[in-house]
Amino acid sequence: MPGAIVLSSSMPPEQSTGPKLKPTLLFVDDEERILRTLRLMFTSRYAVRTTTSGHEALDILRRERVHALVSDQRMPIMPGVELLRQAREVSPNTMRLLLTGYSDLQAVAGSINEGEIFRYISKPWNSEEIRVTIGSAVDIALSLDNPPPDEIHPEPLDERILVIDDDPDTARQITALLDQRMPGRHRVVCAADVESLLQVLQQDDFALVISEVRLAGENITDIIKALKRHQPHVVTLALTSYQDSATLVGLINQAQIHRFLLKPMRGALVWRGIESGLQRHRAMRASPRLADRHQVDSPERQAHPAARRILSFFQGLGKKPN
Amino acid sequence: MSELESMLVPLAPLSPAQTVNEVGEILLDREYRRFLCLPVVDRGRPVGAISRDEVQSIFMKMYGRELNGRKPIFSVMNPRPLVVDMDQSLDQVGRYISANIRFPITEDFIITRNGEYVGVGHVVDLLGAMQSRLGRANSELTQACERLKSSRAQLVQSEKMASLGQMVAGVAHEINTPLGYVKNNVGLARDLLDQVGRRLAVCEALLARLVSGEADEAEVEASLAEIAELRENMGVEVASEDIAALFDDTQYGIDQISEIVLNLRDFSRLDQAPVDSVDLNQCFDSALLIARNAIKYKAKVIKQYGAIPKVRCSPSQINQIFLNLLTNAAHAIEGEGRIAVKTYADQRFVHVEVQDTGKGIAEEHLTRIFDPFFTTKPPGEGTGLGLSIAYQIARRHNGHLRVVSKLGLGTKFRLSLPLTEP
Repeated sequence: MPGAIVLSSSMPPEQSTGPKLKPTLLFVDDEERILRTLRLMFTSRYAVRTTTSGHEALDILRRERVHALVSDQRMPIMPGVELLRQAREVSPNTMRLLLTGYSDLQAVAGSINEGEIFRYISKPWNSEEIRVTIGSAVDIALSLDNPPPDEIHPEPLDERILVIDDDPDTARQITALLDQRMPGRHRVVCAADVESLLQVLQQDDFALVISEVRLAGENITDIIKALKRHQPHVVTLALTSYQDSATLVGLINQAQIHRFLLKPMRGALVWRGIESGLQRHRAMRASPRLADRHQVDSPERQAHPAARRILSFFQGLGKKPN
Repeated sequence: MSELESMLVPLAPLSPAQTVNEVGEILLDREYRRFLCLPVVDRGRPVGAISRDEVQSIFMKMYGRELNGRKPIFSVMNPRPLVVDMDQSLDQVGRYISANIRFPITEDFIITRNGEYVGVGHVVDLLGAMQSRLGRANSELTQACERLKSSRAQLVQSEKMASLGQMVAGVAHEINTPLGYVKNNVGLARDLLDQVGRRLAVCEALLARLVSGEADEAEVEASLAEIAELRENMGVEVASEDIAALFDDTQYGIDQISEIVLNLRDFSRLDQAPVDSVDLNQCFDSALLIARNAIKYKAKVIKQYGAIPKVRCSPSQINQIFLNLLTNAAHAIEGEGRIAVKTYADQRFVHVEVQDTGKGIAEEHLTRIFDPFFTTKPPGEGTGLGLSIAYQIARRHNGHLRVVSKLGLGTKFRLSLPLTEP
């Protein structure tokens, strides 16, 4: 089951490896007391580095292999999102997590779009949850050691893109965008309601999903989450006018959305999102292990009846979640 | 339906060739008594009007009837009568009539549709219609005014709620950080105590066996091994100075949270205004604590508090001013800056100055910043009421709120509250 992470699996093999081989965590926060408590908490299982400075954090990332970077958002000099963005360049195989007490929508969106974070953890945190979350981040990072080089994957023909939006303009604009940038290569399928969504999912396999957060006034994040849970290689972009940071945090932790884009849609931004999303999808197709990186937490509840239907639909299809 | 429709009287018109005498006869007819004038229409189009007044003055002249009675009316009629079209609005008609009517009023007006004569209307009816219309407009205006008043009250309330909301978000963040490590530390301490407790239990059991002299070598060895293993598997490895730091941090965090909560007291009664003898330095400190979150990453606060006497004021309202000035200062600063706070007293007032190194306020805006609803922030980001409320609070305390600003250099606000009479 994805999401149901067993605690023991997150611990490195104990006796066989010496203490020097403990995976490394890097915590960044402007409050030293936060750093101290985190160090005490994780020091028995991990090599823990801490710093109050984003610049020093980047130095550490350049110097040594860090498996997971956990950063606060609001810090003087270099805000968390900026650190995560640079960390992504300096050390792409370090899993990035945000641990913060308060942040505005802009910061959360930035952590997705620029930081491509694995999880968003709120302060004050639950110690069991943070152990599990960091454990699974480290597991993924360990599996990424000696990864295949980040090669450009050939563009296969006929990749299908699913647009979930009740505004027909969105699909029209995206089709026009694709026709202009790479004519004839892709097929855009649109689902304007839950019924047609179920139908197209039955007929097609998609590379990329571009989804609104609400359909006919109803929140469909549960559906987006269910989709990601069962088809981790499908990359999701949220394209919405709905601005709510709590919803967004859910979409990070439980749907690993690739980009969060605000309407009115801006062609260049959406195109960049599509391009990197397809790149990501091809990489995961080529090496399914990468899909682990997109592991999601299981939502606490499947409130939306359609989400339950999607679940049973996937089970009915026999598409076993990996 | 046209507004003129209700006023229309479809009167049979005269033709231009009819004589003055004939018209005189018609005017005497009971049926025509109400009309000030009669329309003259040629081939469907109005060409003039002949008024009762005109006919009477002809007849009243010496030999008037004999001289003019047989003349066609087009030679004596008013060739430029008042003509309005059915499509015109009441306003247009009203404006036209009042601009063109001759005094004393001797004529009614002719109504056409697409230039074709359809009837006449009485000026008196028009006046009546305009009056009832004015009455309606007036009562609509009164209602709109009432609505404005109540929505203004709502906006003042929403500004209050907005500053409360801002404050709550700031406080939540301020508390979340210490809460984060305090909570974690308590969890760690508990784990630690559990493990220490388990080790202690084994040690004590061993000790008891040793004291009683019943323990053999194998048993001692087994116990020692168990202790060693417990020690090995301890989930938390900590040195004693770490433990001390853990408790110090926890204490510090709890103190921080208590301080914030204590300071919230002054803000909690935003609506009531209990007047008290207040130390403004202290008052400002508590506003600083609440606004810390908004300021922390933007500005260094430099305090220059003077020895000032207490003043009679409503601390919650004065706090609202301080919070507003502080958050404005933080918003004005792009990148990093300074906020200088200075308090001092003279013979009559206690002054509190808040000076920032922000972007400053343009001269044309400076005269308007205390106006309600004036804001330079994008829609949705400010109600434009913060400073106007602050200004009113200052006035209500018989004090002043003044501002000086220089574009690119910064802004200084000074709140002055009168000294309490001894």
